[in-house]
Amino acid sequence: MRYQASFVVAVMLVAGSVRAQPGAVDPAGELEEAEAPESPLGKIEIHGFASEGAFWSTANDYLGESSRGTLELFEAALNVSSEVSERLRAGIQLYARDIGKFDTDYPRIDWAFLDYRWKEYLGIRAGIIKMPFGLYNEYADIDSARLSILMPQGIYPVRNREALLAHRGFAVYGSHRVGAAGALDYQAWLGSLSVPEDALTLAGADLERIDTKYITGAQVFWRTPITGLRLGGTWLRTSIDFHVQLPPDTVEQLVMAGLVPPDYTGALVVSQRPASQVIASLEYQRGDSLFALEYGRSFKHQQTSLPMLIPSFDEDRESFYALATHRPHERFELGGYYSVSHLDANDRLGRDMKWAERHHAFQRDLAVTLRYDVNDHWLWKLEGHFIDGTADVDVATNPKRYWGLFLLRTTVSF
Amino acid sequence: MRPLTQMLKLVVLVVVCTCVCVSQPTDAADESFKVIVNPENPITAVSRTFLRDAYLKRAADWGHGTTVRPVDLSRPSSVRERFTHEVLRKSPSQLKNYWNQQIFSGKGVPPPAATSPMGVIEYVMDHPGAIGYLPSSVDPGSAKVILVR
Repeated sequence: MRYQASFVVAVMLVAGSVRAQPGAVDPAGELEEAEAPESPLGKIEIHGFASEGAFWSTANDYLGESSRGTLELFEAALNVSSEVSERLRAGIQLYARDIGKFDTDYPRIDWAFLDYRWKEYLGIRAGIIKMPFGLYNEYADIDSARLSILMPQGIYPVRNREALLAHRGFAVYGSHRVGAAGALDYQAWLGSLSVPEDALTLAGADLERIDTKYITGAQVFWRTPITGLRLGGTWLRTSIDFHVQLPPDTVEQLVMAGLVPPDYTGALVVSQRPASQVIASLEYQRGDSLFALEYGRSFKHQQTSLPMLIPSFDEDRESFYALATHRPHERFELGGYYSVSHLDANDRLGRDMKWAERHHAFQRDLAVTLRYDVNDHWLWKLEGHFIDGTADVDVATNPKRYWGLFLLRTTVSF
Repeated sequence: MRPLTQMLKLVVLVVVCTCVCVSQPTDAADESFKVIVNPENPITAVSRTFLRDAYLKRAADWGHGTTVRPVDLSRPSSVRERFTHEVLRKSPSQLKNYWNQQIFSGKGVPPPAATSPMGVIEYVMDHPGAIGYLPSSVDPGSAKVILVR
């Protein structure tokens, strides 16, 4: 709840922004952009959002102590951007959140980059850049730009947001029209992940540092001749080392058991080399309705500096979902999705002996959401999830196979 | 109470709320429009696809070295509603979502919006790469009207 004060400030800022907008009719024919401040570099745009909510689960603790109900569902961002010239843009966004046990100690730079669009078919960005995997990763934290409060967690997990939302490096992008066949939108990127130490949680050890050797990826979307239909694919690959410090009592036990040398300091390196992900995507938008389908696989080879203690293994996860939304009225939108995650794509039903319970191997989530837009800058959402399985939660503290999760959220943006 | 029962109750509540709201009428948008560019622009016609890409800022240049600079009409405007529906193929709320995505991912901001057709004409005359739209009944002055194929 540390962000409640800043939330109030943000709301006041938004309210001020709304009041500052020009009237609907201006006899002089002035442009609204004339209201924005001018800088030596060009027109400056300032935008932001603040979001607060609550969630409660019937069993199991999701993202925090949800079984007792929690108000820790806060996010806020403020960005400044400017068109330095006709082809060059620059911008930065600060972001803070407090979602259950995942919170930022202070506002972080969410993205900050220079964007030079040389031609329609080629532009380049440099800096901290959002990673465009799947249909919605770039927009996964923008509550006002989607229906669901929680996106399908198999593809867009909240707990990995800090790690997977953006990279630091370069991206090239562009569009190419292919005549009557539609158009291709493409991006490719290379850089490193900037993962804060407190972005990931680790039971029984301290995460001291995360080193990303590289992250690279590419995405292509085909805007088909059928209006509103686009198909695409994303591929990304990374190599990460997690530097972990084991607590002294654990080190002592390992030494006594003879698993490590007597002078062992407790330093442990967990390497994921490589970790890769592929996603196939389909989106169809017709009128006020939208349908989306995505299928993703993630592959990981993990090894540690203590192979006798923690043997290396390979992981092949699978996730997919189908989503449908409809806006029957300007102010109301209704929709839902069915999302499935399998921790082992070769053992979808958890038959292997490695699972203490079968439902630890999968998670099936049926979600339904209602959104109400009070006006262009303020919205409310109500969402319910019926969940079967515990693949997305810590099974040690979440024993129930069937559970429900309910969320309420309001967001202001400008 | 079991989660499934709670879920069913929530679904019923949502459906009832939605049905109540569906019956509310929406404003008709029946005013036609014409598209204008700067007289220095050699273009005489554009496709609807190009027009859509220009206003969604996917199209970056005209093909002769000039950057495309769209200008919109501010809301509420019946001709803007019609343009959004017929050319952009989006509802006003979908367009708002699209620009929220662009703004908060750092990919772009919406075109400037004029509060009157005269503002659109002024912007188009001031910028060689500009493109705008006007109600059909408005005199475009010195701006060049182009065909939309």
